[in-house]
Amino acid sequence: MVVLGGLYLLALERHSERDRLRAAAVELTPGCKAKLAGYDLAPGQEYRSPYVRRVSDVWITARGYSAEDVRAIERGCNIVDDLQGHFAKDGSERWHAKRFVRGSHTTCEHCHQGIGDKQDAAGKRMEGSNSMAASWVMADMYDRFTGLLLPHELRQMQCYINSSNGFKPNAADDLMRDVTAYSRFLSAALDLKIGNHYLEQGIAEIPASATLKRGDDYVRGAHLYREKCARCHGPQALGTVVSGKAVYPALAGPNAHSMDSRMNFAMVNSVMPGFICRNMPPGEEGSLENQDCRDIAYYIGTLPRAAGDHQGPLVAAWQQLMMTVMPPLTRYAESLVGNRALQDAD
Amino acid sequence: MTETTIPTTEPRLEPGVWVRLLPVAKSLGALALITGFVLWAHFGSHFPAFRAHVAAEPGWERFASAYGVTEFGQDGHFVRAAQNGYNVFFYTHKYAWRFTRRTAAQAANTCASCHTAEDMAYGFVNSDRFDEKLGKRMSFEEHVMRCLAGHMDGFVPTLYDPTIRDLRIFARAVAHHLQLSEGARKGGG
Repeated sequence: MVVLGGLYLLALERHSERDRLRAAAVELTPGCKAKLAGYDLAPGQEYRSPYVRRVSDVWITARGYSAEDVRAIERGCNIVDDLQGHFAKDGSERWHAKRFVRGSHTTCEHCHQGIGDKQDAAGKRMEGSNSMAASWVMADMYDRFTGLLLPHELRQMQCYINSSNGFKPNAADDLMRDVTAYSRFLSAALDLKIGNHYLEQGIAEIPASATLKRGDDYVRGAHLYREKCARCHGPQALGTVVSGKAVYPALAGPNAHSMDSRMNFAMVNSVMPGFICRNMPPGEEGSLENQDCRDIAYYIGTLPRAAGDHQGPLVAAWQQLMMTVMPPLTRYAESLVGNRALQDAD
Repeated sequence: MTETTIPTTEPRLEPGVWVRLLPVAKSLGALALITGFVLWAHFGSHFPAFRAHVAAEPGWERFASAYGVTEFGQDGHFVRAAQNGYNVFFYTHKYAWRFTRRTAAQAANTCASCHTAEDMAYGFVNSDRFDEKLGKRMSFEEHVMRCLAGHMDGFVPTLYDPTIRDLRIFARAVAHHLQLSEGARKGGG
């Protein structure tokens, strides 16, 4: 009885915490402050997007947002930009999102760059940039990876399970609903039409057919990785952390995506190359050839990472062992050849 | 006392043709049984769970052509869901009977008794908004749940139920045809 009573009181406390949070003013991350101010988000009877005005020279009037809706959108933006809560006073500001993520690096923004709405300097939405707005208008469509008509919420769950190597929140959780609210707001701000396919949706994948078909080569990928990626993601792709914040996320090890993620080359061999070619290295996007991106993705896919739900306990144990043993072994091996690059060692 | 001689080895009997064919016959029988069940399930059972296609209710062809539903994708999954949504919307008492007490004999026994398909589309793009009366943000799915429990005098499906999903997809298909964006208001402006 005491235990049950305790659980009941805990549930009451959690409910009141949610109510408090829903009513509380939202402290935006610097990125969200700029993003939402750029789209003129404010409570009101009507909403008119300055982006649409700039692009099409007309004002389109849509239904406005209440103060409660605005707060939900702001919280959603914060979650996408800063899932780990590095800018938050405490975890409750992000609905304790960290409990759904195993590592300490991942945030939605790593894959959905530009806080889910990546644009170039001229304000043009970028092709294959994983736009969350375009994803919302094309939600509920058939997904070839899962074989489901995939709603926006289920897609988010997959991000938590696979890309964040974590656990799935409930579909009706505020955490999910706020991200949906933010995605929906972005689609309003960009005036995207329901059910239309936009080029910024998903990742512009790079299959083998988009190369000269000489075959993917992870040794060449390793060389390219050292040349192009290691300066940010680290020599073993374990990421760069400054003052507890992942400045560049891990691409391998326990803080990276799992083996079940579509970003894992061994799972889907066209998504990660597409992401690399479109987004990497930052500031030099588009500088890599298709084959380069496939080789780098292949190499990253060979690095030890956590197993997903599909692999089973033996593979999970093996991967755990590899994640523990390989980094010091690799460091030791590299210390033997000094600072020379791999091709010199050969 | 007589001694019985027990032969140490029995004469080997050559198995008959039927005995030799028995394992093969068993396999063929099992195969025929499975094939028969699959054919019956798909073509003869009339159980919705066994059918890949949704039953075409009156008006579907006209609706699908008017709202361009069939233009979605090559695989037909979305179209089938939209068609089931259509059935639930116009024949609620028949296709969502688990969630309503209303019968075919009663008036106002379908979603279409109160709403038009376009209402659903506008409702969809204006969902996930704060409802002052209820004091909370309401998703499209929660509105459908409330309709079934209240107006349809029935029960609340779960969020994952195909009834909810297919009504949402039905609304999506219509919203696509009308080329609505988020927050679009009926009559424009």
